[in-house]
Amino acid sequence: MSLKFHWMLPKGGEVALDGQQSPREAARYRIESMQSTSPAVRPDLTGWTHFARHAEDAGIDSTLISFSRYEPDPFLVACALGQAVQKLKFIIAYRSGLMQPTTFVQQMNTVSALVQGRVSFNIVAGSSSEEQRGYGDYLSHDERYARAEEFLAVCNAFWRANGEVNFDGKYYRVEQAKLATPFVAPDKRAPEIFVSGHSEQSEHLASSQGTIWLRVAESPSKLEPIVARTRARGTGVCLRCCLLCRPTREEALSAAQTLLPVDAKESTTTMKDDSQMYREGNELGRDAFWPEPWLWTGLVPHYGPVWTTMIGTPDELASAFLEYKRIGVTEFIISGWPEVDTVDVFGSEILPRINQA
Amino acid sequence: MSLRFHWMMPKGGEVGMKTAQETSRVATTQAHSPAALPDMDGWLRFARAAEEAGIESVLLSFSRYEPDTIFVACAMGQVTTKLGFIVAYRLGLMQPATFVQQINTLSGLIGGRVSLNVVAGSSAVEQRGYGDYLDHDERYARAEEFLTVCHAFWSGNGDVSFSGKYCHVDKGKIFTPFLAPDRSEPEIYVSGHSEQAQHLALTQASCYLRLIDTPEKLAPIVGRFRENGVEVCLRLCVICRPTMDEALAATQALMPPEEIEKQERKILSSSDSQTLKEALRAADDVGWMNRNLYAGLVPYYGSSAITLVGTPADLARAFMEYKDIGVTQFIIAGWPKLDEMVIFGREVLPLVRELEEKISPAASQRRSAEF
Repeated sequence: MSLKFHWMLPKGGEVALDGQQSPREAARYRIESMQSTSPAVRPDLTGWTHFARHAEDAGIDSTLISFSRYEPDPFLVACALGQAVQKLKFIIAYRSGLMQPTTFVQQMNTVSALVQGRVSFNIVAGSSSEEQRGYGDYLSHDERYARAEEFLAVCNAFWRANGEVNFDGKYYRVEQAKLATPFVAPDKRAPEIFVSGHSEQSEHLASSQGTIWLRVAESPSKLEPIVARTRARGTGVCLRCCLLCRPTREEALSAAQTLLPVDAKESTTTMKDDSQMYREGNELGRDAFWPEPWLWTGLVPHYGPVWTTMIGTPDELASAFLEYKRIGVTEFIISGWPEVDTVDVFGSEILPRINQA
Repeated sequence: MSLRFHWMMPKGGEVGMKTAQETSRVATTQAHSPAALPDMDGWLRFARAAEEAGIESVLLSFSRYEPDTIFVACAMGQVTTKLGFIVAYRLGLMQPATFVQQINTLSGLIGGRVSLNVVAGSSAVEQRGYGDYLDHDERYARAEEFLTVCHAFWSGNGDVSFSGKYCHVDKGKIFTPFLAPDRSEPEIYVSGHSEQAQHLALTQASCYLRLIDTPEKLAPIVGRFRENGVEVCLRLCVICRPTMDEALAATQALMPPEEIEKQERKILSSSDSQTLKEALRAADDVGWMNRNLYAGLVPYYGSSAITLVGTPADLARAFMEYKDIGVTQFIIAGWPKLDEMVIFGREVLPLVRELEEKISPAASQRRSAEF
């Protein structure tokens, strides 16, 4: 089976339609999108459609639409963008604890029918306690996973159901539930479910209720046993990483330098207090910035683990992706600086090399 | 202020249907009903006709039998430019912060053309399927808290903290604002006939939505809302024909077979909603509530089928009587939905505007300036 490649949807206002944006400008925009004054708080169909067309041309399967209180609701973004482009699929990031599972399924099924089934989701148990409390969710990290387990169990019951759904758990209780609108797709009756996180609970949840475990890229040797274990349970493995590709390694490294913060104020990682993925990210970054010659974690201490970066020439990066394929990784969710330029380079320089191998 | 006219959005598949019997609500609740799926082609046809007829918004109804209204509005908003969407949503289905984030996002995606019809929940059985086990009165108490939290987000005065019996939020922030050319939060319609519904509308809504009744019966209720700065919108059906005889014949032709009546009665009588009970009583008691207002279709088509029947002049005059007592908006349906709306736009609405012009030319000029 060939590798699948997904891409992060840029933030609202991030796509520079004139293409004149440096990697640092793109990176800073994304970091500063968590301020109420950022244009990223508004939907940006023009910029997103521009990006989506480039992603389709590059051979990208889906775009991941992130969820936070700082940005528009990803369900709605997928629905609107799905009317504007016809091929690209959408991975909607959502948290449990924000709505009833029955409502979630009704929304997911409705969106599937409106975008011809081009939708899956990434369930996040919730990475910031403070942010969760702002949504009325007061559970601790471990309880959030227990609840997510129930949440997905109810969702899956709807998607498997041939009749009414009944569930009586600790966090959710539904009785004689029915939804008339089915999940509508040419090839499946339920969406793929990405479960992200590094904790034991997330690994368990990915296999018990999900279809794909999503985690941050690490060195293949470290991931190999974990990936094998997950694949043996029938669960796919998707890695989240950033990509920095230049014709020469020197050019790539000097572009990477510009992404580092110029002072401590530019770091953002203290916010996600309650996530193991973020704790590990901090430690990893300080220990060793180069787990592989092509894998750089130098941005992780400043911006978080999802800034783990695959870096190098097209040849180096193509062989790195193939190395992940060898150990059983099935897909990737990538981002770059700027997104549009990087997705173009990926489509023209890297993906053809992977497909030829 | 000129009267504002909205129309019920047809269910999926209904726009293409020829007869009223096909479109009766009973059919949509059955398995394999086309109403379970979005119907972009039919809806787009309907939306264009609505824009042309001078209809301001369409009401999207919410139930477990239909696609989610927020997303139908989102998709329809991409292919229209003028029509507004009144999104019906039940409470108890999601956290208020989530709801605000979705509605605000929707507003930004469709140029602010969204308002809300908040329903506390009319069927206890259906609510339990969503994980909501509160009873009728508690659902209203929760709705009060829910909307208080929503308003706090929309007022934009920093972090939102709220600790009630049903809703808790601690330093809530939603960065995406409600985006509309002329407002910073959506219009909110609260519907229902119970005391609790009326109280909720008075405290949290911009407009009270209820079933039509005779102007005499409605006058004191409408007066109370208007005194408190809340508009009143009536839900009704219309059958308009060139003569009263033709209109009566069209009404008669809507009577479906016995079986549908029985099913519909079961739905109405098993509900714990006061609105539905009252509508059924009206149909049983009288049939004709006045010269043009007919409740006889309620047993067949549901509580919202109280119908203004008559000629264009009859209907225009009737709408003006409601205007006289302070009603400002209407949400209408007909059978078939598209045809009756086209008739309304062509025959009735121009007469209403003419009568409004006669009474208050200034108000009508203000209206033309707005559009």
